[in-house]
Amino acid sequence: MTDRAVLIGLDGATFATLDPLMGEGVMPFLKEFLASGVRSELLSVIPPLTPPGWASLVTGRTPGNHGVMDFFRFESPDSRYIRLVDSRDVKCETIWSIISRQGLKATVLNFPLMTPPRPMSGNAVPGWAPWKHLPRLCSPQELYDKIKAVPGFNVQELAMDLQLEGKAIEGSSKEEYEDWIHLHIRREKQWFEILRYLMQEDPCDLTAILFDGIDKLQHLLWRFIDPDCVPTHPSGWERRIRDLCLDYFRQLDGLIAETVAMAGPEASVFLASDHGFGPSTEIFYINAWLHRQGYLEWAAGAIEDTSDAGRLGLGMISRSPSMVDWSRTTAYGLTPSSNGVHIAVAGRRGQHGIDLKEYERVRSVLMDQLYQLTDPATGGRLVTQIRTREEAFLGTRMDMAPDLTLSIRDGGFVSILKSDVVLKPRPEVVGTHRPEGVFMARGPGIRQGRSLPALSIIDVAPTLVHSLGLPVPSDLEGRVAAQIFEPASFQARPIRVGEPTQVPEPFPQRRDRKEDKEGEAQVLERLKQLGYVE
Amino acid sequence: MVGVTREQIVADLGKIFNDTMGDWEYSGEITPETRLFADLGLESIDIVALGGAIEEHYRRNFPFAQWLAKMREQQVDDIRVKDVIQFLQDNLKSSLVRESQ
Repeated sequence: MTDRAVLIGLDGATFATLDPLMGEGVMPFLKEFLASGVRSELLSVIPPLTPPGWASLVTGRTPGNHGVMDFFRFESPDSRYIRLVDSRDVKCETIWSIISRQGLKATVLNFPLMTPPRPMSGNAVPGWAPWKHLPRLCSPQELYDKIKAVPGFNVQELAMDLQLEGKAIEGSSKEEYEDWIHLHIRREKQWFEILRYLMQEDPCDLTAILFDGIDKLQHLLWRFIDPDCVPTHPSGWERRIRDLCLDYFRQLDGLIAETVAMAGPEASVFLASDHGFGPSTEIFYINAWLHRQGYLEWAAGAIEDTSDAGRLGLGMISRSPSMVDWSRTTAYGLTPSSNGVHIAVAGRRGQHGIDLKEYERVRSVLMDQLYQLTDPATGGRLVTQIRTREEAFLGTRMDMAPDLTLSIRDGGFVSILKSDVVLKPRPEVVGTHRPEGVFMARGPGIRQGRSLPALSIIDVAPTLVHSLGLPVPSDLEGRVAAQIFEPASFQARPIRVGEPTQVPEPFPQRRDRKEDKEGEAQVLERLKQLGYVE
Repeated sequence: MVGVTREQIVADLGKIFNDTMGDWEYSGEITPETRLFADLGLESIDIVALGGAIEEHYRRNFPFAQWLAKMREQQVDDIRVKDVIQFLQDNLKSSLVRESQ
């Protein structure tokens, strides 16, 4: 085994699409990688979603403990208002911090929940950062000036642009598909060029990069990627979109190959996704159903679904509390991404809601009603599994979780919009998340050509820490995936259990700020502009 | 948080704007009347990030989501710099009250 590791994140990757792509020769490097490494499904958390998925992967802890359960969270324990999650919501220590405390360095590129920057040793360019704010959100802050000089740098395409991100969630016109795919090819190349620069200029013990175009393309273009959905007799345009999607994966394969080559044969290389993917064919309007059952009353400002997509963009979801008349609502779906139902308990988030003494009974009745909900056309059940918060989010942060989390029959996400119908077929198949992600590994001491039983996403952090030659913190919930290693190699370097992780400070002092180094001149100038300083 | 005056908030906000506006194309004068959306060209996600920067500076959380929701309910179509200053002043004042209790 070695003491250097590379983690390549593939957001939303699933063997359901990667296997056919490898079979067709679109991803030859990945095929070769697996022939000399191991593979397994990587089971995500509940819900199988980008923020809780990556937070679990990099902490080795479950959402009930690290606290990231959705794209959003309640603003405070007694508030109904919601805000986007960020690094401060990750209440458990990340591998970047764990290894930094033990004297190692990491380069971390494009991972979510990295803003505001947290203390770590090495380099971090965060994902999910608005482009206008990226300069101050890199760590160390002067890193931004260095990556600006990397060939092809275009911050608007590299970082988050809400209008562009919205296309994956809200849909886009078919005329935009080609540009959308080209954009993601360019974007992955940009992130790779930054990786190349940092691997050459400042090699670190752990190098991690997240390629997130797979998720974006699969959401919008699943029907062109999944061989089961591709039209038997495609039109010229459909063939062109399919070819472009394949080109994305072909080029991604090349970037992975170059990354692995740069890491060298002595490095352990891990590829992992935060969740899998699959098709969604219908829309279940959870709040429309709750309204019909008498649990929810719409407010005057409720947003009605007037589109075929049944989706609500990130910018609009934060407005969802305004859609509900709280004085007459006892249960509601807050966000589409969580598939969660919250029960309004009087005194918990405002004065309205059921009496706390009624909670267990109301929740039990609601679960029964949801399980009895059927498709009027077929009689089939719509809700296949319901987990209480104790089942899905047991841990120190459980109080922020939905009371019920639903799995629906097509594996997709609910819509929280107002609608005249409870269930509607989608006009076209779209991609949606599944729990079964991917795990692949290759390197010294790692078995070759083996397909292994599924791992849990919380096993990745302890496995990485062990691969770096460090003791594994005693309080991680995941375990080292011993089965990926050759027995002799594993016996030669058994797992060492170390001290527990450290709870992150909510507001650590940042010591890498450019502003502090540049003095007060610019600050004074800005104050003058504000009109407060003569 | 004792002793945070309006002048200090203005100075802090100036510092935060200075820190966040490095690469923007906006080069006009920023005054208390400057609108974050219409004048500075910010999007809602930028406001979220700006809120994060303010919270990092003061090392405490502010009820930004509630504030923005109430502004929407009042059909306020843009946020001015002076609105942010007032919001911070109100909340830092209320935290002073809580801290003294």
